[in-house]
Amino acid sequence: MRRYLTTLKLFWSASLAAEMEYRANFVLATGSAAATLAGALFALWALLRTDYAMNGWGFYEALIVVGVYTVLDGLQQTLLQPNRQQITGLVREGTLDFILLKPLDTQFWLSVRKVSIWGVPNVVLGAGLIVFAGLRTDPTVPAVGYLRLLVPLLLGIAILYALGYLLSTLTIWFTKMDNITYAMQALLEAGRYPVGAYPMAYRVFFTFVMPVAFMTTVPAEAMLGRAGGASVALAGAIAVLLLVGCRSFWRYALRHYTSASS
Amino acid sequence: MPALPLRAFRSYVSAYTALMSVYRAEIFLWMIATSLPLIMMGVWVEAGSSGRFAGFTSVDAARYFIAVFIVRQLTICWVIHEFEWNVVSGKLSSLLLHPIDVAWRFVAMHIGEQVTRLPFGAVMVGLCFLVIPDALVGNADRPGWWLPAWWQVGLALLATYAAFTLRFAMQYTTALGAFWVERVSALDGLFYLPYLFLSGMIVPLQVLPAPVADAVLWTPFPYLLWFPAQLLAAPGDTMSPGEIARGFAMITGWIVVFITLNRLLWHRGLKHYSAMGA
Amino acid sequence: MALIQVDQLSKTYRVADKKPGMLGTARHFVHRRYREIHAVRGVSFDIAPGEIVGFLGPNGAGKTTTLKMLTGLIHPTSGQVRVLEHEPFKRKAELLRQITLVMGNKQQMIWDLPPMDSLHVNAAVYGIEPAEAERRIARFAEILGLKDELTQPVRKLSLGQRMKCELVAALLHHPRVLFLDEPTLGLDVNAQAAVRRFLTEYNRDQQASILLTSHYMADITALCERVVVIDKGSILYDGSLQGVVERFAPLREVKLDLADPIEDDRLAQYGEVESNDRRVARLLVDRDTLTQTVAALLAELAIEDLTVSDPPIEDVIARLFESGKDSEAKASSQHQP
Repeated sequence: MRRYLTTLKLFWSASLAAEMEYRANFVLATGSAAATLAGALFALWALLRTDYAMNGWGFYEALIVVGVYTVLDGLQQTLLQPNRQQITGLVREGTLDFILLKPLDTQFWLSVRKVSIWGVPNVVLGAGLIVFAGLRTDPTVPAVGYLRLLVPLLLGIAILYALGYLLSTLTIWFTKMDNITYAMQALLEAGRYPVGAYPMAYRVFFTFVMPVAFMTTVPAEAMLGRAGGASVALAGAIAVLLLVGCRSFWRYALRHYTSASS
Repeated sequence: MPALPLRAFRSYVSAYTALMSVYRAEIFLWMIATSLPLIMMGVWVEAGSSGRFAGFTSVDAARYFIAVFIVRQLTICWVIHEFEWNVVSGKLSSLLLHPIDVAWRFVAMHIGEQVTRLPFGAVMVGLCFLVIPDALVGNADRPGWWLPAWWQVGLALLATYAAFTLRFAMQYTTALGAFWVERVSALDGLFYLPYLFLSGMIVPLQVLPAPVADAVLWTPFPYLLWFPAQLLAAPGDTMSPGEIARGFAMITGWIVVFITLNRLLWHRGLKHYSAMGA
Repeated sequence: MALIQVDQLSKTYRVADKKPGMLGTARHFVHRRYREIHAVRGVSFDIAPGEIVGFLGPNGAGKTTTLKMLTGLIHPTSGQVRVLEHEPFKRKAELLRQITLVMGNKQQMIWDLPPMDSLHVNAAVYGIEPAEAERRIARFAEILGLKDELTQPVRKLSLGQRMKCELVAALLHHPRVLFLDEPTLGLDVNAQAAVRRFLTEYNRDQQASILLTSHYMADITALCERVVVIDKGSILYDGSLQGVVERFAPLREVKLDLADPIEDDRLAQYGEVESNDRRVARLLVDRDTLTQTVAALLAELAIEDLTVSDPPIEDVIARLFESGKDSEAKASSQHQP
């Protein structure tokens, strides 16, 4: 266990040191995070500027969903995406071989090898938006509401991680699948709106096939005091199922790893 | 541009279609990655069915966003990544020796990719009609099938390829920055965000307050998606012949602006590139 | 007790086929045709502790595939492998701590950082105490002649310097079994020599076994006493380096210092004439009939001196690979439908 912690510390310090080589990117990331958020607000305003109430989601309630989405997006840019991106490269170039030969859990290595600061602006902006919107809703969200947000948010990250890893695992067979996690990410964009904003068919899809509902709507509902324990428990069950699933799928995939020939 | 040897271009297209079909799994995923219009369709169909948007019913929303999806699939552009890679890897130097402008090579790549993408796109559109059959057959609020006349389809197709030309010219012009700076693809983000929010991909221009929509119509962005999609979705109702003419004039104007800028930068960039001894 | 035991190891791949042109593209798009490739078929051998074995064969012979099965990276289609009493594919940490793999065409160093950072990561991964790690790095650096290179970003290093650092990273945990796939690929002569020296010393200090593939014969002749020759997935030869010559060069070279010029036609009666400049002639003579031929030459011709030698080993192996390539080309043309 101690070996894993020491390794993690080294991974992250090495990863951050490597990113410092490209400092200008951070300015760019901040600018693009702010502009993206402005665009999302513009889109929400266009949708809700008339008296359309999006099935019970007013402007500020919907803003909380946008805030949760932005935080999640930032976290995944920081923790998940850099690692997902390297997996395909490792498989294609065959350097995964080196990692497989290390006396350290391969999934651990592949999941935490990199960390990026690019997502930090999104996390900060998203958190700010959540608090801002929480003060404007009627009634305002009590302090305990922010606590209620935490558990479903963590489950949301777990689901996101497991889904991403599950899809990245496919690259063991299909090296040309770089884009698979981008495809997933595109579907996650649906999380900018509460599931209630979609027609029935979409709601089913975003609850059971691509569980976006559990990533942004359920945390927002929990914060607003609308979600019962049942939906949070369901989110927990889905998270556990996906985590176990991605772990065993990874082990299965390694049996079929053929390693890039040189 | 210099005279185009048609035969070379044809063989480019054939070769790149073969190449792209090798990447068909990627292209399929890429199509999913660019199907934001279909997600937005869900939001706006639900909004349209509330009846709170005058003249924009759920059927209008569905048709509009399906049209946006189609136009987007035919106008996807990634020349900036290709060009950047060619400059960084030094491959551009050998391409410059070919007796045909490299731009045609990039255009052929995009066409090859569109051909590969076509069957997937058709399946997706079919799926949309399955999920929202009203989009095809209409409903009480908007009766009648979605059957654009041949001239409407023709105009839409013309506008779509004009949109592709404009998008390509814009991105290729940005890409030329690779002659001077590293990681030019990051610059594309500058164009991507306004493209996302002002092109009609997320918010249809017709639901915006008139002054806002008018302002947006002076930028190049709505002509990349909104204009061709409107022609395909419901031309007679929403656009007068004058507006259509104005749309084509705007798009032509922007194309001329970007191609001129592009050729200017191309020659200066080449000078810089060869001076660097690349 | 053998450190590595390989018994009837085989690996079969499936690859997709595509015909050229638009029609081929369309067909490939709809329906893929697959073909089976037998990369390795029924390979068996043992490697003892401290042994350095050269693994030879033309490109595509199955060397790398075998190496990857031995390290547990890919799963054999059939057959048995045991490395240090473990099945490599189970990838037990206990085994992984005792083996290493070096690939000349791939690198594990972090591109944007100095090698030292990657070395610290490896030390932590293998649970080596920092002080001990520093000691080992210093020792390896000394043998390889590395100094400031360890603190410069990897991307600024030359290929040779990078490879030396790769070796330090790969051997930091003092593995008992080394798998080296073309470790000197693309290096200049000096760097090649440094790598060889380093491997020899490591082998002596740690009594480690080494299985090595290389296209540079100098690597093989400098390091290996034993070679395994593989072609089209099967073992052609397994034995001493010297034995390769006997097995694959059934001819010996007879050099004649001629008293008087002798015509080629005349010499050809005794063996294949390699060269003849009227003063010195070289003949290739069958190993089996060497004694009789030499006796006949001395009895029947005016010869001042006569020496018998083996052709150089590099030539023998190069010729072996050439013939391998020929048969490979033939084999693949036969596969055409």
